[in-house]
Amino acid sequence: MRTGAAAGHHGYLHEAIRYDSDDELLAVVVPFLLGGVEAGEPTFVSLGDRTGRLVRAALPVGSGVEFLPGGDVYARPTAAIRSYRELLAAQVAAGANQIRIIGELPRIALGATWDWWARYESAINHAYDDFPLWSMCAYDTRITPPAVLDEVARTHPRFATPDGGHPLSPTYLEPTVYLREHRAAPADPLQATPPLVELTDPTAAQARAAVHGADPGVLPADDLDDLVVAVSEIVTNALRHGRPPVRLRLWVGADRIVVTVSDGGDGPKDPFAGLLPAGNGATGGLGLWITYQSCNHVSLHRDGAGFTLRLIAGNPDPAS
Amino acid sequence: MTAALGLHSPHGTTGVTSGLPPSTPYGHVCWVYDDQAGFDRQARAFLTAGLAAGERLWYVTAGRPEPVLAQLSTAPALRDALARGVAEVVPLDATYRAGAVVDGPAQVRAYAAATDAALAAGYRGLRVVAEATPLVRSPAQLDAFTRYEHQVDRYMRARPFSAMCGYDRRELSSRAVAELACLHPETNATEAPFQLYACEPADDRAGLAGELDRSGHELLGTALERADLRPLDGRLVVEAPRLRFIDHRALLMLRDYARRRGATLVLRSPHAGPARLAALLNLSGLQVELAR
Repeated sequence: MRTGAAAGHHGYLHEAIRYDSDDELLAVVVPFLLGGVEAGEPTFVSLGDRTGRLVRAALPVGSGVEFLPGGDVYARPTAAIRSYRELLAAQVAAGANQIRIIGELPRIALGATWDWWARYESAINHAYDDFPLWSMCAYDTRITPPAVLDEVARTHPRFATPDGGHPLSPTYLEPTVYLREHRAAPADPLQATPPLVELTDPTAAQARAAVHGADPGVLPADDLDDLVVAVSEIVTNALRHGRPPVRLRLWVGADRIVVTVSDGGDGPKDPFAGLLPAGNGATGGLGLWITYQSCNHVSLHRDGAGFTLRLIAGNPDPAS
Repeated sequence: MTAALGLHSPHGTTGVTSGLPPSTPYGHVCWVYDDQAGFDRQARAFLTAGLAAGERLWYVTAGRPEPVLAQLSTAPALRDALARGVAEVVPLDATYRAGAVVDGPAQVRAYAAATDAALAAGYRGLRVVAEATPLVRSPAQLDAFTRYEHQVDRYMRARPFSAMCGYDRRELSSRAVAELACLHPETNATEAPFQLYACEPADDRAGLAGELDRSGHELLGTALERADLRPLDGRLVVEAPRLRFIDHRALLMLRDYARRRGATLVLRSPHAGPARLAALLNLSGLQVELAR
């Protein structure tokens, strides 16, 4: 039996909160959380430090609301989907009729890496629809760029407002539509400089060796190994599914390595590519999904010349 | 560089063979050559190392013995060993039946008997260079011989027997070379991106080295099928101290192979990467352990 605004709803009810003061945030969040506890529903908070403290202070002691460790879950979109799906499956297995979650992306996600978080916000309408989930994503309009707020409206079917309303978002698009739009990430400043490495039609082994050989110690060993895995997967995919020529370019900055892999094809057809394991998951289609969990930013770029996938290891936001 | 010296070698045999990678588990070398003189040099180095280790030496050839005797004798130590009967040139037919499909278990038994005879005669082991190209010309021969390569690899891991198998690249397809080379722990062949070898004879562990990506998946499937690895207590353990890279598909292939044999695949790697990959895949029947 679903409760609150999700009463009678099947699957995932995904709402955005656009708040411009702490009071506005609390006016939406506190009744949402306490209503969940009152209905006996597993009720979670996944906010950053500041807003997490704010909400905790506004709840009665021993409220029954569970605070998830912030930060980590929102490190990479695909990992967030995987971890939330595990949480939701466990709650349903334990008998939950509805699960409530309030979440907020860290501020860094609203910058240079926003494109893959926008894809996340859209994809979860599908990825969490297997579960009786009612969640709210909080966006502080004082620090969220207007262009990001536009995408928030296009990826959330409803808003939750301080007056208790749940209006439809007029610009919402189904994920299968939204995710097919071209949404390139901003160019990294390193890409304006000549690449340190440029290979045409490399084998996956040559691509791996190039990454290993290029790092002067910028990345921790595990991060470099993960980048090698990602580059190997992407070059393998480009050679197998793309059109020649396949070009790998690599730049090394003070705190990051940027790799692009281009081919003359159209890129993956699956709108959820990278965010969800493609195919049946056990026998193939996992390369891009693994890549999304092995780098700090993965972005898709399409132009007249073909498809480019850009991977960043280390700091994904040069402005941060 | 040491070819036959292994930290884990049960018998501590040592040898010096130029051009081979260091820190190899034991002495089972696949040497693929484009010119006879180059192979001859490697063979002399391999046998000379065995001489220093107190082993009986055999050079197995399908051809006439005289040219082999002549080229071996260019190394004074080997010339002396031939004169003393420590080293012998053995006709291929005496050890293998040329042109026939090898009977792997029978061949292993033959080398086991020869190794025992060498030990009984006071040697510390038997070391063989074999010109094996005539034994792998047809698909049926190749299939049987690659299976035998892993069977004899297991034997070598347990007993003081070592071998350099010489294959003439000019007479074999690159696929055949890859199929042979990938079932040796040591090789100079670039055709094989990985090696699958015997590791612990006690519990039939296998070892994997090299790099496993899509370009090697089909070869891996063939090699696994021929190696016929046997699980112990529901676990198929693969040691991977020299495995530089493995992709998710190869992990899945190993898992599925073990599963068909009713076992969990346990990959033991010194690198954290495969364990992170396995954690992402979160599949039953697959364990990756960090083995420093």
